[in-house]
Amino acid sequence: MVRAILWAGACFATGVLLAGAMKADGVSERARKLHFSSIVVDTHDDTTQRFLDGKFDLGVRSSSGSIDIPRMREGGLGAIFFSIWMPSKITGPEAVDRALIQIDAVREQVRKHSKDLVLATTAAEIRDAHKQGKIAALLGVEGGHMINSDLGVLRSFAALGVRYMTLTHSGNDEWADSSTDKAVHNGLTDFGKDVIREMNRLGVMVDISHVSDKTFYDALETSKAPLIASHSSCRAICDAPRNMTDQMMKDLAGKGGVVQINYHVGFLSQEFRDAEKTNPELNKAISAEVMKRCADNEGCQLIEGDRITREYVEQGNLPRVEFSKIIEHIDHAMKVAGIDHVGLGSDFDGANMPYGMEDATKIPKITEVLLQKGYSEGDVKKILGENTLRVMTEVERVSRELNAGK
Amino acid sequence: MRRVLAGLCLSTCLCAGLFFARRTSADDIAERAHKLHFSSIVLDTHADTPQRMLTGTFDLGNRDAEGHIDIPRMREGGLNAQFFSIFITGRTLGPPAIQQALDQIDLVRQNVQQHGKDLALATTAEEIRRAHAQGKIAILMGIEGGHMMGNDIRMVRIYSQLGVRYMTLAHFYNDEWADSSTDKPAHNGLTDFGKNVVREMNRQGMLVDISHVSDKTFYDALEISKVPLIASHSSVRAISNHPRNMSDDMIRALTAKGGVIQINYERNYLSEEYRKAFAAVAGDVSRMEEKFKKECGDDNVCIGKAEIKLEKELTDAGKLPHVSWEKIIEHIDHVVKLVGPDHVGLGSDFDGADMPDGLEDCSKLPKITEALLRKGYSEEDIRKILGGNILRVMAESERMSKELQSAP
Repeated sequence: MVRAILWAGACFATGVLLAGAMKADGVSERARKLHFSSIVVDTHDDTTQRFLDGKFDLGVRSSSGSIDIPRMREGGLGAIFFSIWMPSKITGPEAVDRALIQIDAVREQVRKHSKDLVLATTAAEIRDAHKQGKIAALLGVEGGHMINSDLGVLRSFAALGVRYMTLTHSGNDEWADSSTDKAVHNGLTDFGKDVIREMNRLGVMVDISHVSDKTFYDALETSKAPLIASHSSCRAICDAPRNMTDQMMKDLAGKGGVVQINYHVGFLSQEFRDAEKTNPELNKAISAEVMKRCADNEGCQLIEGDRITREYVEQGNLPRVEFSKIIEHIDHAMKVAGIDHVGLGSDFDGANMPYGMEDATKIPKITEVLLQKGYSEGDVKKILGENTLRVMTEVERVSRELNAGK
Repeated sequence: MRRVLAGLCLSTCLCAGLFFARRTSADDIAERAHKLHFSSIVLDTHADTPQRMLTGTFDLGNRDAEGHIDIPRMREGGLNAQFFSIFITGRTLGPPAIQQALDQIDLVRQNVQQHGKDLALATTAEEIRRAHAQGKIAILMGIEGGHMMGNDIRMVRIYSQLGVRYMTLAHFYNDEWADSSTDKPAHNGLTDFGKNVVREMNRQGMLVDISHVSDKTFYDALEISKVPLIASHSSVRAISNHPRNMSDDMIRALTAKGGVIQINYERNYLSEEYRKAFAAVAGDVSRMEEKFKKECGDDNVCIGKAEIKLEKELTDAGKLPHVSWEKIIEHIDHVVKLVGPDHVGLGSDFDGADMPDGLEDCSKLPKITEALLRKGYSEEDIRKILGGNILRVMAESERMSKELQSAP
């Protein structure tokens, strides 16, 4: 079913661009060349959850989910941040322990697939990996609750290779408010500001996806290095608190930061969001079905959540969202924040993907459509990864400077 | 204090007298010893200094009137490679034990960073040699007790990645998978899981430390491990019959597989006389320790200070005998006579044990070199004891780790 629709889309694209050399997937030679010579960085993927049951093998093409080595190769994905994640309700030493286990799971996958993958912790290491024809794997911690209010734990994470931390997840943590919880700290607490300063010193990027608007502004004021939104989209297009307002994006860009567009249909499309809101029973039904299929296997929950949502769309119960919505968000962010301040933060394996962007193999289409829209090759490269690499380099520079001042 | 000084003077005078008649003058030996000591890599495999770092006021860079280790005294004693012990009580298990261990690892790393001019974190034999060539003190980390793994083999990899290079399989209490020498056996040595832990340690290049473990655990680990074992801080049971020490049979078995025993300076482990006297007052001591724990809470430095004070009182009252630092030489010599010079080294237990008279802190270490030289040890053998032997085991562990990791 999904495949048939894709073919239809490809035929349409072929028709439009008859003049250009075009393959069946709707990606021109020019786009292909550009895409596969660029460093494509994705700052947010939840594939780590799939590693935890011990059965999933990143090296084998999977019929479910969005990410594995064959599909990353096919989609020219050159660098991927694997997310270390657990629900906000898990706190204390148990959260620390579970984060370590996930960090180890990612590191072990990299070790097992060392012909294809290499752990990277700097922009230079990503570039080196690209030169060697390897995919750079990076680590991001999605939620400040995992440090258990302990800077020693933050430093340990950094020593283990973690290069960004999202200040909160869906719930507030002990020192920062989330965009999807009732504000209790009025943004960042004093300790929260210390966390930002220590992240700056360690060269761990401050990720403001998921945080409340006030937390964002507090972090922006405190951080000496540019911020990233590892997986957030534009609120002007889809009014979700998880997305950024135009003003927030301008302010983020004003300090050199970058917003990495999230492909989740609920953040891309106002229509989809409204449909979910007006029919809360749908979400409950989807959740119930997910629990039925997965119990407490979080990797399974994320994958099945996407699959079941698709089923509802196919039945006409939720609107169909096309991948072109991603381009719309990129284009909007570019117009508001500037070409130097937008990138890709898919949320693959952790969200509901739009039609035409089912998995990593589809990423070259982004390059194709941006070229079609008239973006220069240099600008497309920036969006695909160079903007993120610039922020990483700057974060590393600030870290060196702060350590030298010690 | 005065008594210690008197004892020192007496022994120096005695030594000078003894050696007067020989061809080599005492001064020549002292000079040779000094030169030898300060050109060698002196590697101590066990100090509990991180407990002092936990107080928050301790600065490794300042000469301290208390404790056994700080940078000025390490410099003075030529101690240029030190394993700092990551230690929490064996009663803490699971995720809280893991977080506390992470905090101590971080503390050591922070202290090294803070004193980057003097210290360098090292994780390989090569890095120790490099630090030495740069005139820096190499700092390494060992985890004292398998309970800090949270019963999760994956933590071997996490700790290894954070720079930890040995793990003592158990501390004073059994953990979930290994019996301790000072607890009632519960696992008959190592459990199957414990054996897998040892295998993973081999794979990660983390030395297997059998100090503290039961004899059965030792023999199980010896059978499983593909890398020579270390006893990071244990002494000789033939001299002081303490379960924390190693029997001659154990030492022979350890060394037959290339391992090394690092002599502990704790008086109880050095001297049978002291051990027996201590056992006689142990009831009083443990009552007092309960009291200290109430007064100090979790502050191990506070407990340590109270214990030192108590032991001094007991010694002054004649209830505990004095123990001379020369007992350390006796233990080293026993091992050398038993198995040769390739299998013994130094594992002081500084900042975690009660030091013998004459080796009050690390500034006194050159005395060991001088005493061994006076006993007729060759310079080459002394260098092995000071650090060469443990460096050899580390290099072997690194080689095996590479081999095991490259295996499919």
